[in-house]
Amino acid sequence: MADRSPRRLTALVGLLVLALFLLPWVVGRYSVYLAIQILILSVFSLGFNLLFGYTGLLSFGQAGFFGIGAYACAKILLAVPNLFLGLGGGVAAAGVAAVVLGFLSVRHTRIYFSMLTLAFGMMVFSIAWKWRDFTGGDDGLVGIPRAPLEIPGLWSLSVATQERYYYVVLVVSLLAIWAMYRLVHSPLGLTLQAIRDSESRAEFAGVPVRTYRLIAFTIAGLYAGLAGALLTPLENTVTPGIAHWSTSAEPVLATLLGGVHVFGGPIVGAFLFFMLKDIIVRFTQYWLIWLGAIVVALVMGFRGGVASIFARR
Amino acid sequence: MKKGVGILSVLFVLTLLLLPAGPAEAQCQLGVPVIKIGVQGAASGPHADYGRQIEMGATMAIEEINAAGGILGCKLEIKFMDDENKAATGVKNARYLVAEWGAHFMVGTDSSGVAMAMGPVLAELKRIHFFTHAATHRLTEELVAGKGIKEIVRVSVPVYQDAIVAALIFKDRPEIKRWATIGADYEYGYVTWNLFKETLRKYRPDAEFVAAVWAPFLTLDFSPHVSAVMAQKPDAILATPWAGEAVMLLRQALIQGVFDSQIQAWWQAMGGSVDVLEGIASEVQRDRFKGKLWATARYIHNWPDTPENKAFNERFRKRWARLPNYSAETTYSALFIIKAAVEKSRSLETPKVIEGLKGMQINNPGGLRVFRAEDQQFIYNVPAGRVVMDPKYPIPVLGDLKVFAAKDYYRHPPFTPVAATK
Amino acid sequence: MLIAELPDFMDDIAFQGLIGLSMAMYLWLISAGLTIIFGVLRIINFAHGSLFMMGAYLAFTFYGQLGLPFWLAILLSLLGVGLLGLVMERGFLRRIYGIDEAYQLLLTFGFILILDDAVKIIWGGVFKIPAIPPFLDGAWRVFGRSFPVYNAFVIAVGVAVAVGLWALFEKTWWGRIVRATASDREMANAIGVNVPRVFSGVFVFGSMLAALGGALGTPVRVVAPGIGAAMIIQAFIITVIGGLGNLKGAFVASLIVGILSAYGTLFFPVFELFLIFAIMAVVLLLRPQGLFAR
Repeated sequence: MADRSPRRLTALVGLLVLALFLLPWVVGRYSVYLAIQILILSVFSLGFNLLFGYTGLLSFGQAGFFGIGAYACAKILLAVPNLFLGLGGGVAAAGVAAVVLGFLSVRHTRIYFSMLTLAFGMMVFSIAWKWRDFTGGDDGLVGIPRAPLEIPGLWSLSVATQERYYYVVLVVSLLAIWAMYRLVHSPLGLTLQAIRDSESRAEFAGVPVRTYRLIAFTIAGLYAGLAGALLTPLENTVTPGIAHWSTSAEPVLATLLGGVHVFGGPIVGAFLFFMLKDIIVRFTQYWLIWLGAIVVALVMGFRGGVASIFARR
Repeated sequence: MKKGVGILSVLFVLTLLLLPAGPAEAQCQLGVPVIKIGVQGAASGPHADYGRQIEMGATMAIEEINAAGGILGCKLEIKFMDDENKAATGVKNARYLVAEWGAHFMVGTDSSGVAMAMGPVLAELKRIHFFTHAATHRLTEELVAGKGIKEIVRVSVPVYQDAIVAALIFKDRPEIKRWATIGADYEYGYVTWNLFKETLRKYRPDAEFVAAVWAPFLTLDFSPHVSAVMAQKPDAILATPWAGEAVMLLRQALIQGVFDSQIQAWWQAMGGSVDVLEGIASEVQRDRFKGKLWATARYIHNWPDTPENKAFNERFRKRWARLPNYSAETTYSALFIIKAAVEKSRSLETPKVIEGLKGMQINNPGGLRVFRAEDQQFIYNVPAGRVVMDPKYPIPVLGDLKVFAAKDYYRHPPFTPVAATK
Repeated sequence: MLIAELPDFMDDIAFQGLIGLSMAMYLWLISAGLTIIFGVLRIINFAHGSLFMMGAYLAFTFYGQLGLPFWLAILLSLLGVGLLGLVMERGFLRRIYGIDEAYQLLLTFGFILILDDAVKIIWGGVFKIPAIPPFLDGAWRVFGRSFPVYNAFVIAVGVAVAVGLWALFEKTWWGRIVRATASDREMANAIGVNVPRVFSGVFVFGSMLAALGGALGTPVRVVAPGIGAAMIIQAFIITVIGGLGNLKGAFVASLIVGILSAYGTLFFPVFELFLIFAIMAVVLLLRPQGLFAR
């Protein structure tokens, strides 16, 4: 049993990846667009869950880093249309912010941590919303190019079409997922879970708890920043709403839907989140009420998310 | 025997179902089952009436067009989506409407911010969007005339109406020197104030602009804004928050005694809109505004006094039990513009339809609209006036009308930039 | 780049402060409920803002649409939201008390989604804004300007609630039981207090306070979907600054935030929002028990 399961799982994952690569040949433009959004939310949610599921910290401010990644990418692409720089810059900016804000945030836990992250996230939002000269204010930044992948002077690949951009997002997302997988199965990942389960015991064992929390926070911020940076060239627009706490709720919901304590939970949840919304919206414009009902149902009865339903054997 | 009859009936029904569709489809000369028009507007929040009016205008238009045989024999179908006045949502909806739903054309959009975000995306999607509310001049001056995005067509009057007409009216009031604004804290608010200041300065070098306070979307309470502006003792106020927010702003201004003070005039840019007039009706009835409240709109239901406009009002009231708002008239007219353009070009392809728009002059309820190719705007006249009661109508109307010929005060190329900043 | 020129007169500054004071009262009403609920149940109800919004909508229906007297409309809206609060607490929150707080937060977040959409479904888009009750219309001359009677009324209500709450918790039997339960629920249980019933009662009471804030605003403030979300953020900030569970702190913090917002519109509109969140963050970092903790 123990032998066949991992191999079967690997085979399944392999098939899935193959299907993702073939996707644009099989489905229409809008479905590809949805797929990009799902991948972005997956990356966003994976980072979030490192903090929540593995380290036990519920952050309501991840959208702040998402926003920083998106705006940084936007400003870079408007100045220098080079996708490598845009994505890299977005991730770096979010990472720096995460280290700084994380240093302040991880001094607290539980409700105070949640509220602190909420405050920080909203501070980023208020900057994006009000600093019109730099961020475009309420109207945001528009006309951002879907810049080419370029090594100046050597090589340039245009990703202006949605199909090409899909592959960029796919490759980057797969790398990010793989990196996270290795991370949570490493000693770092195990330490984080130990801290989640019992802070005092981890301390007794000599673990510098705050440092590890900061590492988790920073990684979550990097992932959020990457997700934000990937979004900018897709929509060609950035508006302050992406840093708002209501955006912070998306990875929370996706993770809850898919399963908090399963590695693939956030990814499954991201998929379900968009599928649910897309389906519900065809019947009624009032999809939030259904989403809310699902959240309530999940919290009341299925806190492990969809994954837990399948895990019950 | 019974089984035989049963099988035959089933076969008969199946054959009917499988037969190619009847004469209706054969008549469509453009080779599509139906012409799809995507519609967007704000359908939630304090501005929700505008999205609804856009939808009502579009619905009534296609009902009339379909009843008269459609466009070149093809029926129309609309799909309305709420853009929540948010750029990200508007862009996402546009992609969905074109790529997934198959829209041939799109109409609507209330927010100037959303319009500016959609512009470049329309070029990517290669679909024309007929803007029926969003007013920023930058949409047509920068994106059409400047960047050549021909997928943008504007059917409603832009901020020239909100800003330039105000300057033209009040330049002749020598006692009004000190102006203040309570502005909508986004693109539309900034450009209106900047354009107003620029225009007024030309006629009145003695004009002073003493205060500007800004209220973003979802301002709950306008009391500090009114109070802050009144502290500067202006002679007149130009206000750009619209829809439900305009009503609450005016309510606050009333209870803070603005209309009993030294204020000579209050220009509520889109105050001639039906929902605002409904909201302030009881105060107008009691003359609380002392005749100082001025407004304009992008169409007012009681002008022009033509049979066509009256008939449009009648049909609208019968269909929806309300008077048509300007966004309803502009959207309704946009649908007929699409009809005329498609009939002329005999095609649904974007470049051909754009060609078909050139030189178009069309009679709508709001009057004669003339297409201007340089910035792809339909030019028509809309008056401004004082908000008063008229016994012929259940809600206030604009009276004491001042009409300026649009072709005289509209800006034209070459366009000098007017900033969209505070 | 200063937008509003500095006013010459102290009068204008004082007047703006008064305006801020009336705005603060709405914040006080919603924050009082939030902080009381946290103090006793140790729950942060994210959907508290939605209850504020429901209070406004219900009051609008009773007063604006059905034409009932203003005071009756407010009373009915309090009862309606109280009932809603009871359902939320008894039907849902109670069942997950023992579990990780994170899930309680998530549950209340789910409530926000449901209530915000429900409001759109039931009340839709357009509604006429009701007239101000005639006896509250008009203005008084204060600091050389016209201060609306309605704003003064709201200040009076807010102060009355503050005094009333103080009297309730200090002087009455129920108040003492609630305080006991708040400080040590096991002990309270041991001496015979029906803790679950106290929880329900407090939750309903707090919800009604939020509803009062919403209902009071009906004639003069925007009633629209989304006002709940806008208010809850400010309520969080105030509760944090004042200290979670600290009623007196919530009152003072409401005054600070309300008056600061009013001055923000006058003097430094660009920084106002950022400033408020920054204060919240600073308080959480340096003095998480709140600025006014004993």
